[in-house]
Amino acid sequence: METRQEPVISIRGLVNRFGRQVVHDHLDLDVRRDEILGVVGGSGAGKSVLLRSILGLHGPNEGTINVLGHDIRHHEPGPHRKWGVLFQGGALLSGLTVQENVELPIALHSNLPVETRRELAVLKIFMVGLDLNAASKYPNELSGGMRKRASLARALALEPKLLFLDEPTAGLDPISATEFDELVSYLHANLDLTIVMITHDVDTLFSICDRVAVLVNKGIIVDTLEEIVKHPDPWIQEYFGDPRAVRARTAARHRLSSRREAE
Amino acid sequence: MLRRPTTDRNADLFARLSHNTGEKPRDMSAYLAVEELDGVMEINLAGDWVFANLNELQQSLDEIEPGDRRLVRFQCGGLKDFDLAGAWILYERSMDFEEVGIETAFENFRATHFKFLQHIIDLAAQKEYIPGFFDPKPHHYWRSGIRAIGANTIEAVDSVGFIARAVLDGIKRPSRLVIGETIRQVHATGAAAIPIVSTICFLMGIVLAYQSARQLEQFGANIFMVDLVANAILRELGVLLAAIMVAGRSGSAFAAALGTMKLTEEVDALRVMGLNPNQVLIIPRVLGLVIALPMLTVFANAAGLLGGAFIGAAVLDINGFAFTERLATTISVNDVLVGLSKAPVFAFLIAVTGTLRGMQVKGSAEELGRLTTVAVVQSIFLIIVADAIFTVVYSRIGF
Repeated sequence: METRQEPVISIRGLVNRFGRQVVHDHLDLDVRRDEILGVVGGSGAGKSVLLRSILGLHGPNEGTINVLGHDIRHHEPGPHRKWGVLFQGGALLSGLTVQENVELPIALHSNLPVETRRELAVLKIFMVGLDLNAASKYPNELSGGMRKRASLARALALEPKLLFLDEPTAGLDPISATEFDELVSYLHANLDLTIVMITHDVDTLFSICDRVAVLVNKGIIVDTLEEIVKHPDPWIQEYFGDPRAVRARTAARHRLSSRREAE
Repeated sequence: MLRRPTTDRNADLFARLSHNTGEKPRDMSAYLAVEELDGVMEINLAGDWVFANLNELQQSLDEIEPGDRRLVRFQCGGLKDFDLAGAWILYERSMDFEEVGIETAFENFRATHFKFLQHIIDLAAQKEYIPGFFDPKPHHYWRSGIRAIGANTIEAVDSVGFIARAVLDGIKRPSRLVIGETIRQVHATGAAAIPIVSTICFLMGIVLAYQSARQLEQFGANIFMVDLVANAILRELGVLLAAIMVAGRSGSAFAAALGTMKLTEEVDALRVMGLNPNQVLIIPRVLGLVIALPMLTVFANAAGLLGGAFIGAAVLDINGFAFTERLATTISVNDVLVGLSKAPVFAFLIAVTGTLRGMQVKGSAEELGRLTTVAVVQSIFLIIVADAIFTVVYSRIGF
């Protein structure tokens, strides 16, 4: 199919400056359909600014951003029916229950009868591994991991093609983080999603990301993990040479080889 | 309502998924076409079965009348785009048929499409109906009324305890931190409010002078305007207007600031650092306002009298000299003290209501907004009530 070749997100010549500090200097990025792209970079490398630029929450100084054939402009509605965003803190509306939070985008963007709306919301809540008990609770009554799941359910409410995750496993214990990784890769496999995630979790990078984008030197380097660990850039070497990263890498290799044996 | 499909029925459904080629359909809508073979209803699905078209899809599905046929076959080869919402609505309809004893089958699915349906079937199997989850809760007027009275009583007792505790903490162990913060509060709630409070009282002086002059002119007793303005401003309106203004400015600020600190766990952070939130947050605010409001009242009184004098000189032929002379003969120091003595009490009410409501914020941003409103409304209400009590008591004792 010809649409497969077209990038889902294409960024050309993106420049972001804050005063005299340049964060992105003519950055180009293509995100392919159906991939999971992990975005990494040191603090202040501009991960969040990049995400906010793509979402139209931040107006870049120069450059064009195209998402799903839609040109993104600052403060103008983007293709919000086709994308879903999981914010770092969850950003669930605190005055509504989980059920109502998930129902909200459905209610805003359709004129479906109430029962249908409820059923669809419940469907999404089940899909992220929550139950009806959690659905009737308010966000402040949930644990951090459950809040992330609920927020993910809301992001999926409108059947998006594109999902943005901002530090999905930050603040979760390793078990919840692994479960969340599994959930993301399960949804990716089952819902034809393209996923862009900002992450610091090397386990996440090695276990579920197809490609990795590293923000260094005001630019971006995108490649598969096998290639990117060989890149000579000092920051990349330091990042992937870190004992935690090495452990995660070996663990991922073990997983891969044991899966092959099983097959 | 949530339905609980049995697992064996789902297994059945899987078994009936087969690959078959359908025949030419008769068009009924853009999304499905119905064809009848002896006793079997063939439904050819077409177009985009996605969330955006859900209303139309529901309509098309509802129009299907299987009648007395025993088997409905969905031919899914013509589907273009498919998602969970589309799969769900299809599955739900097929379950409707199954319930009235009509068998259903799905055929010719593409693998990429079928996984959505499989997903729905898996999820449906997990679903457990929780009775009463979606049903509106029964409403007992009597019971909830009595419960509300109880809850309010407990809350009132709790509030009094809270205030007593805060005051006690302040008296028992004064902390060095309190002084600097108190001075800051005096500035924020008092000094910063001088311009607005003075302006309002000046205007109130003008209004009073005008209104009283219109009545007094009929008796040629213009000069008594001074008595009226001075008594009203000094005994009542100066302090009352200052207090109401401060309730709107600072009472709301207290509630919002403390409420936000509660939400962001700053209050908890103070507590684990060994600082008593009552000491660091509440005492400085209460103390600051109790100091600031009497001083603010002085400015308010002066501005009010100035407004009266201004109108006297400009309109009523009472020059500044005559105004001050009359003021000196008609007003005693008691009148000034009556007004000023109310100020600390009003300040205490405003500060305590604001901080108390702020500390009661739990959980959500909406709660914060609600309690901030409550803080302002209640403190103004309490000010008026206290003023009424003051007036009655003072007139009884002839103060």
